[in-house]
Amino acid sequence: MKPAPFDYIAPETIDEVCERLAEAGGGATVLAGGQTLMPLLALRMSQPFILVDINRIAALKGAARADGGTRIGPVMRQNEVIADPTLANALPLLLTATRHVGHHQTRNRGTIGGSIALGEPAAELPAAAVALGASVEARSTRGVRRIAAEALYFGPYATALEPDELVTAIHFPDWPPDTINLFREVARRPGDFALVGLIGALTVEQGRIARAGLAWFGMGPTPIKARQAEAALLGQSIAGLDARGIAELAIADTAPFDDHHATADYRRTVGRRIFARALQEALDARQAA
Amino acid sequence: MTAPQIGAARFIGQRVPRKEDGRLLTGRGTFVDDIVLPGMLHVAFVRSPIARGRIALIDTSVARDMPGVHAILTAKDLSRFKIDMLTFYLTLPGIEIPPLATDRVAYVGDPVVMVIAQDRYLAEDAAGLVAIDYEEEDPVVTIDDAKTGPLVHPGSESNAAAVLGVEEDEDLEALLASAPHLVTGTITHQRVSQSPMETRGVVVDQQGDEELTVYIACQSPHLVARYLSQAFGMPNISIRVLAKDVGGSFGLKVQPWREEMAVIAAGMILRRPLKWTEDRLENLTAANQAREQEITLRIAFDADGKLLASHADYDLNNGAYPHGPDCNIAVQMFMWAAYKMPAFGFYTKGWYTNTVGLAAYRGPWAMESLARETMLDIAARQIGVDPIEIRRRNLITKADQPCTTSLGIQLEDITPAECLDKLLETLDVPAFRAEQAAARKQGRYLGLGIATYIEPTASTGSIGVMSGELAQIRIEPTGKVTATLSTHSQGHGTQTTMAQVIADQLGVPYEDVSVFEGDSSRGGFGPGAAGSRQGVAGGGASMKAAKLLLDKVKRVAAHLLNANPDDVRLENGVVYVAGAEEMTRSLREIAEVAYGEPDRLPPDIQAGLETQYRYTPPPVTFTSAANACIVEIDAETGFVAIKRWISSEDCGVVINPAVVEGQIAGGLAQAIGSVLLEEVSFDARGNPTAVTYKDYMLPAISDVPDFEHVHASTPSKSEGGFRGVGEGGCIIGPPTLVNAIADALSPFGARCLDLPLTPSKILELIEGRTILRKASGHGAGPQAAAVDRPTAVTASEPDATPIGEAAEPQAAPPLEPAPATAVDGLWKMVLSTPMGPQAMKGRFATNGQILTGTLYSDMGDQDFEGIVAGATLKWDLKVEKPVSLTLKYDVQIEGDKLSGKVKMGFFGNAKLTGERL
Repeated sequence: MKPAPFDYIAPETIDEVCERLAEAGGGATVLAGGQTLMPLLALRMSQPFILVDINRIAALKGAARADGGTRIGPVMRQNEVIADPTLANALPLLLTATRHVGHHQTRNRGTIGGSIALGEPAAELPAAAVALGASVEARSTRGVRRIAAEALYFGPYATALEPDELVTAIHFPDWPPDTINLFREVARRPGDFALVGLIGALTVEQGRIARAGLAWFGMGPTPIKARQAEAALLGQSIAGLDARGIAELAIADTAPFDDHHATADYRRTVGRRIFARALQEALDARQAA
Repeated sequence: MTAPQIGAARFIGQRVPRKEDGRLLTGRGTFVDDIVLPGMLHVAFVRSPIARGRIALIDTSVARDMPGVHAILTAKDLSRFKIDMLTFYLTLPGIEIPPLATDRVAYVGDPVVMVIAQDRYLAEDAAGLVAIDYEEEDPVVTIDDAKTGPLVHPGSESNAAAVLGVEEDEDLEALLASAPHLVTGTITHQRVSQSPMETRGVVVDQQGDEELTVYIACQSPHLVARYLSQAFGMPNISIRVLAKDVGGSFGLKVQPWREEMAVIAAGMILRRPLKWTEDRLENLTAANQAREQEITLRIAFDADGKLLASHADYDLNNGAYPHGPDCNIAVQMFMWAAYKMPAFGFYTKGWYTNTVGLAAYRGPWAMESLARETMLDIAARQIGVDPIEIRRRNLITKADQPCTTSLGIQLEDITPAECLDKLLETLDVPAFRAEQAAARKQGRYLGLGIATYIEPTASTGSIGVMSGELAQIRIEPTGKVTATLSTHSQGHGTQTTMAQVIADQLGVPYEDVSVFEGDSSRGGFGPGAAGSRQGVAGGGASMKAAKLLLDKVKRVAAHLLNANPDDVRLENGVVYVAGAEEMTRSLREIAEVAYGEPDRLPPDIQAGLETQYRYTPPPVTFTSAANACIVEIDAETGFVAIKRWISSEDCGVVINPAVVEGQIAGGLAQAIGSVLLEEVSFDARGNPTAVTYKDYMLPAISDVPDFEHVHASTPSKSEGGFRGVGEGGCIIGPPTLVNAIADALSPFGARCLDLPLTPSKILELIEGRTILRKASGHGAGPQAAAVDRPTAVTASEPDATPIGEAAEPQAAPPLEPAPATAVDGLWKMVLSTPMGPQAMKGRFATNGQILTGTLYSDMGDQDFEGIVAGATLKWDLKVEKPVSLTLKYDVQIEGDKLSGKVKMGFFGNAKLTGERL
C-alpha cells in the first residue's frame, strides 16, 4: 500500500493548473482534499504520472452570491460548507447533506468540489448537486464551460469532465426560503456511504408544487434524478398527495445493485419507504404550518 | 487520608493508572515498524491472484534490474533451510506448509515471491514487475466444496483436516427421538478478519553466525524464540526475540507464520537487516482469519424443560494453511460444561479449502456459546418457558459442585447461575417486558437477550507449550523494585497489573515497581498472552516471588536490626520493627547493605535481594458470566440499535477493574462486529470480496454502547484467587446480542442463526421472504434457519401483528418506455488502438437510462454499467493490462451500425466502429 511513483506540482494559479493538465494529456490527477485519492493511490488503483495540487489557489476557495445563486469554490472544505452563514441561508439542504459526508475528521480536509467531481454514486454531494439543479464550471486551456450536474455523471467515478478540465466552481441556483427539503440516508455506520439515500427540494406556490428536484444516491451507477416522480409532483396540490404512489415512481428510475453490504431489493424496499415517509412527513408539516 | 491498613490489599482491586498509557497515548510506544536499523532493507511480497493452481513460470528479470532492488527470492532460494512450520503446540501440522509457495498456490494472497529493496515503495514497484504464469484450477472455497471437491493438499487422503466424534450414536438417537421436546437448528458463523490495530510485522537482524535478533509483533517473545529454534532446527544459534509494544493480537500473532518465516530466512541468506510490515490490504487478504463454522445442534428436553440429551454436528473451514489443522474439539468440550446435560454426543470436522488459513481468535471455541445460548432461547419459546427460567432449571449452581460433566470436565467453583442472579439485580425484566409490549403496539420492536457461559482460562500442564509463568523480582540497591516477567502485553496492561500485585505483596509503592517483559533474553519461558492466562499464571508467579522476596527482606532486616523476623514489616517502602520506632529504616538502606556489605548478612543468606518463582496454576481455572442486552430494531430498515448492555462476570479477585472492564468491553465490541458488521467472504473463484475497511466493516465507536459491569469476584483456587478474563466478552457477546435481536423479532416468528445479521437479512426475517438474500458461492447453509421456522408462535409472544407495509408491491418495473433506438443485443466491434486493431463483441441491455453489458475480447469478458441518452451510449471500463487504466466509451448508434470513441487515459483516444450481429 505505497503509491506508485508520481511527480507533484502545486501551482499558484488556475491557468497554470490548466496548462499542466493539458500537457499531461490525461496522465494527471488533481489533488484537492485527498480523502478518496490518497487511499486510491496507496492501493495503486490510481497511478497518475503527475499529481496537481490545487490547495494553494485562493480563487478556488470560499462561497459567494453570484448569478442569482451561489457560487462555491471547489476547494471549500466540507466542514467550511457546514459552517458558512451564506450557505446556511441559501442552501440549507446542501448543509444537511454535507453533514453526512464521511466523518468530522475527513470533512476537515475533504472538499465539496472533490466529492462532486469524483462522482461516487453512493455519496451525498453529487446527488445534492443533481437534486438542487447545480452546475459545475469546468475550465481548460480550451475555454470554460458549464455542465449541468444531471449531465455530469455516466457511471461510478465516470463524469463528463475531460482529463484536461478543472472544476473551478459549483453553481447552485437559489431555492425559495420556504422550500420543503427532504433528506434521508440509510448507512451501515454513521459516516459510511449510503446503502440508500434520498435528497430532494420542493417549492409550493398556492398549495401546489411549483418546482421539484429529487435525487437518489446509492441507488445505481450514478446519482439518479427521480424524473418521473418530479414530473408527477409538478402542479399537484399538496393536500391529499399520494406519497406512496410518488415513491413508487421515484423507485422506478433507480437501478440499484447487490453488493457486499445490501441487496438491490433491500435498497428498493427501503428506498420506497424512506421516500414515502420523508415526503409524507414534510407535506404534513407544511400543511400543519 | 487514612493510613494504609497493614496487610490489606492497597493496589489489588484499584483502578490505578496504567504504567503503559503515558508512552502509548503520546505516540511513544515501540512497535515493530518503529524499529529502524542501519542498512535495513524492505520486503514486499508478490502474492497469488488465484485461489488454486500450478505455478508455471516465474520471471523476475525485469524486476531484478530495477534500481534499488537488492534481491528477489522464491521458494527455491529459501530451500537452503529446512523450515518446519509448526502448529501453536510446536508440533508438525501433517501437511507441507512452505513459507513461500513452491509449485502450487493454495489461496488468493498466497505469497510466492519476495522482493527486497531499498525501501517499501521501490519493493512494491518491483513487485508489480514480477511476472508469474499460473495454470488455474477450480478452487475449493466452501465447506461443501471441501467435502466433494478436489484435494487442497495433493497427496493427502481427503480435505478433512481432522474428524472426531460420531455422526449417529444409537443410544443417543433413541434419547433424542423419545424426548418430549426436541429442538433443532443450524447456526452459521461467518469468517472474520483478525484486525489488530498493529498488523503483523518483523525485523530480522543476523549479527553473526551464532546470533539472530528478531523484532516481531507477537504474543510471547519466548514462544517465538522457541518456535524459531525448533522450526529452523538451529540449536546452536542464540536467538533473541523482542517485542516491546504490540497493538493487539487476538490469536493471530501466537506464532510466526509464513511471511514472517520467509523474512527471517531471507535475513539469514542476505545477512542484511530486513523489515516487513504487513499493510492493511495484506492483513485483510492474507493474514490468518477466524471462525467460519456451522453447527447443527439438536437438544432434547423433558416436559419441564430440563435437558435430556444433545448432539452437535459441526464443520469448520480451516482454509489452506491454518495455524492448527484441527476440528476445534474445544467447541464440543465446553458446549454443555456449565449445564446439567446427561448425554451429549458430537461429530466435529475441520476442512481444508483454498482460502486463507485460520488462526485462533479470542475465544476460538466461542461457537459453543453462540449455538447453545441461541438454541436455548429458541427452545424456551418452543416449550413455552421464559428464557431466564430455562437457564435456571439447567445451569450447574454452586450447590451442585463438585461434579464432573458428561465429557469429563471437573467443576468445583463455576458460578454462571450466581452471575445471572447478580445480573438480574440490575435489570428489571418485568418492567422491560411491559415496555416491550407497549412499544410493539406502536410498531416499535424492542428485544432482550440473555446468555450465560463458563470459560476455561489459564489452561496449564496438559499441553506442553502451555506452561506456567516466571516472575523474577529484585529490590535494586536503590530500594526500587524491578520485575522481569514471562508475561506479555498486546494492550493488556500487564506492566500495570503485575506491578499492582507485586507492590501489594511486597509492601512498596506502586510507583516504585517497574515491570519488564517483551524480550526473550530476559526472564524465562512463558506462552504469554494466550488462553486468558496471564492474570492467573503471571499474577500467581508475581505473588509467590514477591512473598519469597519479602521473607528475605525480613530476615536481612531482622539480622541487621537485631530483631525477630516476625516483628519486621515492610510498608510503603519503609521497614518497621514492631515496638521499636527508632529501628525504622528505608528499604534502600537495607538493600544497600544486602548488595554492598555481604559480611553484615546472616551467614546462610546470599547477597542481594533477588528472587524468582515459576508458578504453575491448577490445570484449568473457570471464569463465569451472564450478560444481558437490550436492542431496538427498526422494522422498516432492519437496523439494530443497542440500547443497553450489562456484563455480570466472575473473574475471581479483580486486580484492576479498569483493565478487566477494558478486556470485557474489547471482546464485546468484537462480538458486536461479528454479529452485525464484519464478514470475510469469497466469490465462487475464491476471491475475497472485502479487502479494505470500506467493505470490511469493523464496529466503530458509534456502534458500541457504554457497557455496564457487575463483578461477582469468587476467588479461584489459584494463587491470589484470580481468574482469566481476556476472551470472555468475545464468547458471550455474540449469543447475547443474537438473542436480543431474536427476541425483538419474535412477533415475526423469525430465527436469526446466520451471522452477520445485516440490515438486508433482518428485513428478510421480518418480512418472511427470502428474495432479499443474494445467492453467493459462500454460505450454502443459511437458508436452513428459514426452513425450520417454528410452526407456532407461543402464547408468550402476544402481538404478532404484521407491520404496515407487508402488502407493498415488489420491485416495480420501470415505467419509462424503452429508448426509441434499438440498443439491446449482440454487437461486433473493432477498436483501433495504438497497438493495432482489436476485435471484440459486446452485449448491451438497457433499462430506462441505465445501460448494462458485457464486452468479450482476448482480454477476457468484462461486465460494465453505463448510461443511455437517446442514441448515445456511455460507459467506463477498467482494465489492468498493459497498465491500470479506465477506458471511457462514448458510442452513437445508427440503425444496425455503431461508431464512437474510447478515451484511453494517457494513450489518448481510439476509434470504435461496429455492427449488429
